[in-house]
Amino acid sequence: MTGDTLDRSEGATIFLDHVTKHYRSGGGVDDLTLSVGPGEVFGFLGPNGAGKTTVIRLILDLIRPDSGSIRVFGRDSRRDSVEIRRRLGYVPGELALYDRFTAREVLTHFAHLRGGLEWSKIATPAEQMQLDLDRPLRTMSKGNRQKVGLVAAFMGDPELLLLDEPTSGLDPLVQQQVHGEVRRAAAEGRTVFLSSHVLAEVGEVADRVGLIRNGRIIAVERVTELQHRALHQVDATFSSPEDESTFRSLPGVSTCTLTDHVLHLEVSGSLRPIVERLAATELTDLSIREPTLEELFLSFYEQPNA
Amino acid sequence: MREERRSLIGWVAGLLGFCVIMLSMYPTIRGNSGFAKLLDAYPEPLKKLFNLADYTTGAGYLRTEVFSFMAPLLIAIFAIIWGSDLIAGEEERRTIDLLLANPVTRRRMVIEKWLALLTGTVLLSASLELTLGLLGPAFKLHVGWGPLTAVVLGSGLFALAFGTLALAVGAATGSRAVARGVATMLAVATYLLSTLAQIVTWLRPVQPASLWYHALGTDPLSSGFHAGHLSILVLTTIVIVALAALGFERRDLAT
Ligand SMILES: Nc1ncnc2c1ncn2[C@@H]1O[C@H](COP(=O)(O)OP(=O)(O)OP(=O)(O)O)[C@@H](O)[C@H]1O
Ligand SMILES: [Mg+2]
Repeated sequence: MTGDTLDRSEGATIFLDHVTKHYRSGGGVDDLTLSVGPGEVFGFLGPNGAGKTTVIRLILDLIRPDSGSIRVFGRDSRRDSVEIRRRLGYVPGELALYDRFTAREVLTHFAHLRGGLEWSKIATPAEQMQLDLDRPLRTMSKGNRQKVGLVAAFMGDPELLLLDEPTSGLDPLVQQQVHGEVRRAAAEGRTVFLSSHVLAEVGEVADRVGLIRNGRIIAVERVTELQHRALHQVDATFSSPEDESTFRSLPGVSTCTLTDHVLHLEVSGSLRPIVERLAATELTDLSIREPTLEELFLSFYEQPNA
Repeated sequence: MREERRSLIGWVAGLLGFCVIMLSMYPTIRGNSGFAKLLDAYPEPLKKLFNLADYTTGAGYLRTEVFSFMAPLLIAIFAIIWGSDLIAGEEERRTIDLLLANPVTRRRMVIEKWLALLTGTVLLSASLELTLGLLGPAFKLHVGWGPLTAVVLGSGLFALAFGTLALAVGAATGSRAVARGVATMLAVATYLLSTLAQIVTWLRPVQPASLWYHALGTDPLSSGFHAGHLSILVLTTIVIVALAALGFERRDLAT
């Protein structure tokens, strides 16, 4: 963990202090300490079963920690839960809606529970997402139901958004819309806590990223640092011979092998020097791939303080 | 909340059907001396067990066919199924995550759910009373609104108590099946206890432990309202609501 996350409990929007939660059947999270500042988009990145949903449901007081404490807006997550929930919006990881009702009925009901929002505040985001409000939710596609969940979370412009894998199972177009909503919220100075198991998604919207696995936080880094660490895998095939050393010496290259016209590179940081060098060759095949989540996590175990 | 409106209509229809069938059979029994003689031949304990006294009069017939078992238990089953679903159902369907993301205390949720249960039970009981009261005369069955109200009130409060119990067990465990099982078992047990105590003398001292006894064991159809007995039902129900809120307050939800 980098030092700047530890001493930011003052004024933090979310502050987890040595939080432990074990489920009876095993699993859970262990001794988590984490701080998210106001106006920040925090990406919570981890594979399936890492503990992302557990943390978000702890923040919401749907489940309670075995030990440790959680403060949201500087308030105790248990004692002041209602006041906290008044100021946040939530999209659950497993979104379940009242299937027999229409989106309009459900949203109106939630607006009522939130102390009566004007309908225009709901209608506008719904229009932006091109949502048909008058169909029973049961007949809606997964993507459209997810949009209902997003409208419910975003309505009334809450100060904090807890989004648990908000784009899982959505097509790229809807994903882009969701990312757009997240950026808009951040631009208005609101805080976003977004969980994901996709590095690219977090890289696109987050300022800072927490990596979690097996219930433990492995690292918290700025996205730019993370992208620097994220080694791109470059594979190229040439029709004419090339000199290996001219690739090895390029900035950011950490691994370089060239055998039989086939080149493999691992590159951190900017890809531009590589692409420019490749442009000067007789390329027959080229692939550039982001590291998988697994490779990213491994990089932290291999060089913990890099 | 408003979700169960449709199923409530189904229950009202079912209960109405049951009443109409029972009422339509009454004219064949009313004043039938042969039937009366036949019943007289029944041994005394059986008569008590099946509530056969005055079977051929209007009140007796209603007591035996409608209120000795079927109608109160039908309303109770409705209340138990609904009560078990109100909170545990939200957890099992996982809609509780979105619901409690709103600024609503868990206590308020329990109370609002219970008010929905109360409303449903009142509506169902009222439709039972109206059916019997309005259609009864058409089948020459006259019992009067007073006695009818007394017995429907007893039935409704009995059902409400066990519907509330189902709500509470659901709130404390998150499981609809457990809630239904516990509430149904206890409802049947109190019925058996109260009924058997009429023929088994050594059970009589424990009869007051049976909610059925307080609701219907005092024969409200002929003896009218018993404020004491009914207030025991009401108090028990209120205590169960409080316990439901307490149990729900301390739990990890939908885990
Ligand atoms: N209700 C539960 N009961 C028991 N164990 C649970 C429960 N929920 C989660 N777990 C366990 O806790 C661990 C963390 O689960 P969690 O749902 O928080 O992970 P996640 O990061 O959200 O995963 P995913 O990406 O699949 O949503 C897992 O090992 C999981 O099996
Ligand atoms: Mg999850």
